[in-house]
Amino acid sequence: MKLIIDGKAFNAYPGDSILDVARREGIAIPTLCYHEAFGGQGSCRLCMVEVTAGGRSRLVASCTYPVSEGIEVKTSTPAVEKIRRNIIMVLYKRASGSVLMQKLYREYGCSENSLGEKQEERCIVCRLCVLACEKMGTSAISTVMRGIDKRVGTPYDQAATACIGCAACAHICPTGAIEVLDSGNIRTIWNKNFNLINCERCGQPFATREEIDYVSRRSGIEDAELCFCEECRRKKLVGKMQGFSPC
Amino acid sequence: MTTMNKSLIHLLLVCCGTGCVANGAREVYQALKDNLTSDDKAVLAATTSARATGCHGLCAQGPFVRILPEDITYCRVKAADIPEIVEKTLKQGEVVKRLLFRDRQKKALVQGQNDIPFYRRQTRVALRNVGLIDPSSLQDYLERGGYRALEKSLLDMRPEQVIEEIIKSGLRGRGGGGFPAGLKWKACAATPAQPRYIICNGDEGDPGAFMDESIMEGDPHSVLEGMIIAAYAVGASTGFIYVRDEYAQSVASLQKAIEEAENHGFLGENILGSGLDFDIEIVRGGGAFVCGEETALIASIEGHVGEPWDKYVFPSEKGLWGQPTIINNVETWANIPVIMERGASWFTSLGTEGSKGTKVFSLVGKVANTGLVEVPMGTTLREIIFDIGGGVPQGRKFKAVQTGGPSGGCIPAELLDLKLDFDSLSQAGSMMGSGGLIVMDDRTCMVEVARYYLSFLAGESCGKCVPCREGIKCLLEILTRICHGQGEIEDLELMEDIAETMQQASLCALGRTASNPVLSTLRYFREEYLEHIEGQRCPAGICRELSEFWIDPAICTGCGLCLPRCPVEGIKGEKKQAHRIESDKCIRCGECIDSCSFQAIKVK
Repeated sequence: MKLIIDGKAFNAYPGDSILDVARREGIAIPTLCYHEAFGGQGSCRLCMVEVTAGGRSRLVASCTYPVSEGIEVKTSTPAVEKIRRNIIMVLYKRASGSVLMQKLYREYGCSENSLGEKQEERCIVCRLCVLACEKMGTSAISTVMRGIDKRVGTPYDQAATACIGCAACAHICPTGAIEVLDSGNIRTIWNKNFNLINCERCGQPFATREEIDYVSRRSGIEDAELCFCEECRRKKLVGKMQGFSPC
Repeated sequence: MTTMNKSLIHLLLVCCGTGCVANGAREVYQALKDNLTSDDKAVLAATTSARATGCHGLCAQGPFVRILPEDITYCRVKAADIPEIVEKTLKQGEVVKRLLFRDRQKKALVQGQNDIPFYRRQTRVALRNVGLIDPSSLQDYLERGGYRALEKSLLDMRPEQVIEEIIKSGLRGRGGGGFPAGLKWKACAATPAQPRYIICNGDEGDPGAFMDESIMEGDPHSVLEGMIIAAYAVGASTGFIYVRDEYAQSVASLQKAIEEAENHGFLGENILGSGLDFDIEIVRGGGAFVCGEETALIASIEGHVGEPWDKYVFPSEKGLWGQPTIINNVETWANIPVIMERGASWFTSLGTEGSKGTKVFSLVGKVANTGLVEVPMGTTLREIIFDIGGGVPQGRKFKAVQTGGPSGGCIPAELLDLKLDFDSLSQAGSMMGSGGLIVMDDRTCMVEVARYYLSFLAGESCGKCVPCREGIKCLLEILTRICHGQGEIEDLELMEDIAETMQQASLCALGRTASNPVLSTLRYFREEYLEHIEGQRCPAGICRELSEFWIDPAICTGCGLCLPRCPVEGIKGEKKQAHRIESDKCIRCGECIDSCSFQAIKVK
């Protein structure tokens, strides 16, 4: 099907969101809670755009709005820009400790006001960490509480049995709000300590025992195959490939 | 009037709605049964029947015992009053005057329910059976014409005719959104996917609202009948009733009704021989306000956290477990059987151009007759608050009425002649919501009211999307500051700016309307905000840092009523001499103001 984004016509597949098309075609729409691995959540609302469908215009979240034939999308109108600026402004007030939010606050030209700032806070509750943990199949963390107290945590803020210390949550976090402390052979994350195992090749500590076991169990790959750090795994693979000659 | 068995001389209806039960209605009912069945009154037992009914509506005066056919309504009845009622009224035909309703305006005692001004101006459609039937008795419901509409729909009409009739009736959803019910049904029926689901939204979460509760408690079969008719119309096989956990009596009442309906072939397989198979299950909500939002409610039924999703595709196409789903509110469902029985044209004869039929309102706050009121759409606020509700008590002045629940708005006295319907309320910056009406008098600070509602929403928003979660947090922060005398004039514009983004960008209706309490008070009571910020004064005397009280010596009679009410012994004065407040002691609690019968205590 066809749709128009900022005056230009594009093709889309049924089931695409506006953001899917925009990303594919290199049209910039800002997001905070979107990751291609999970699809749209519709929670940060930074990706709001103006859509005209059937003669009626409205503001929608482009990450969840399914495209339909002939819709017209404007990714940057005064109304859209104002929404984005205000979203950055209020979100910055929650997580003023986040470097990303500080940068966006400046970029969007948010004006100074009387609202208090939480200097020590970095989490913007985008929930990408929760989705990453869910995707791992562990679901050790989730959002807890509701309303303005909503945050991410483990059950009852205790060390979670389900947590394997993989730190996927920390890797995906756009604001560096999740603390992973690797000290010697001990990793501390979400109030839980893990023993790190050393790479068979270089001897550096690189992953938790729980993670290796979990990945082995889920993927069927033997434990021994997994006991290499990322760097060494790559080198090993290169070594293997040198045995083949290109035709 | 309800039907009476011919051998009966008297039928006694005891209100056993939740409010009256809390005031001892069960004991009243038990005492009545004991008195009727005790040996020496064997004659009475044979000729008199007592019935525990749902809510009678005028909750301020409960528990009620209504005696038919004479239509004698006794108010504030206690178990200890029963022997006298039995002895005097039932045996000797005498009225117990001290238990009658006192019409304060006319200064007269009123005997019949329909002579009480509160009831006289009502049109009971959704509440047609509530208060008249025993909700646990299918027989009572059948005697009132129950399940006739189902029979008519299933046996004499095709599904598309049923949908057409509902569309023609113009019935709009009573849960808040006001979306035309028939169009939802049509969209659902037109979506090819199977299975399809029917949901009843009984997650009434607005503070002070209890219209859905009273229907589920007092007339559960009307809800079931509406749902079964819809199941036939759209081809659904399973229904769910989502009831908030606090409504224990509603759950029990619905459970019983479902069992009875199953036993009599109104639910289950091949209903009334029509070939329709339909079952209904009750799901108990956990008490989150946001689960009244339909997509959050659906997520909750599915076992997920109650968070809404973007409704760019409606639940009627993709709802529960991704299947076509009709979700309507309790009151909407209760309207369906009447519409099917009496026809769309009868229904459209009630109400206004854009809002047909009646609406149940829960009238609470600073109003003499608090309770449940059902009136045709288009009835004015003035009629409801003053004619039905009896006006503001204690001689205070009406200031505003808050409509539509926590994310509704406050409507000022200038708009008392506003006709209540979906469209005029949203034009006035408020909304119909599920029908809450909270009356406020001049002892209400509108800034504090906005702050209160925002604090409610701060805890009850799901917290998923940024504009709602962070917007509410910012508004609450500013409002709290203004109430403490630390507001700045720029704050007003900042609030309007944030509020606009919340309206435009929030994910669900809760977020989009969450700023209404702020916007509507800013629109109608801006002066009061300015008083707080620039004048450092709370004119209603509610915000403690900004209030100072004094006693007008010209009005004070020295009656001394306020003296013992003051918790800090801060009022001085001899009897029959004007009193005065020692302002260094005063903690501005306002107890004295509320106790003064002469309104001699003023806010500086």
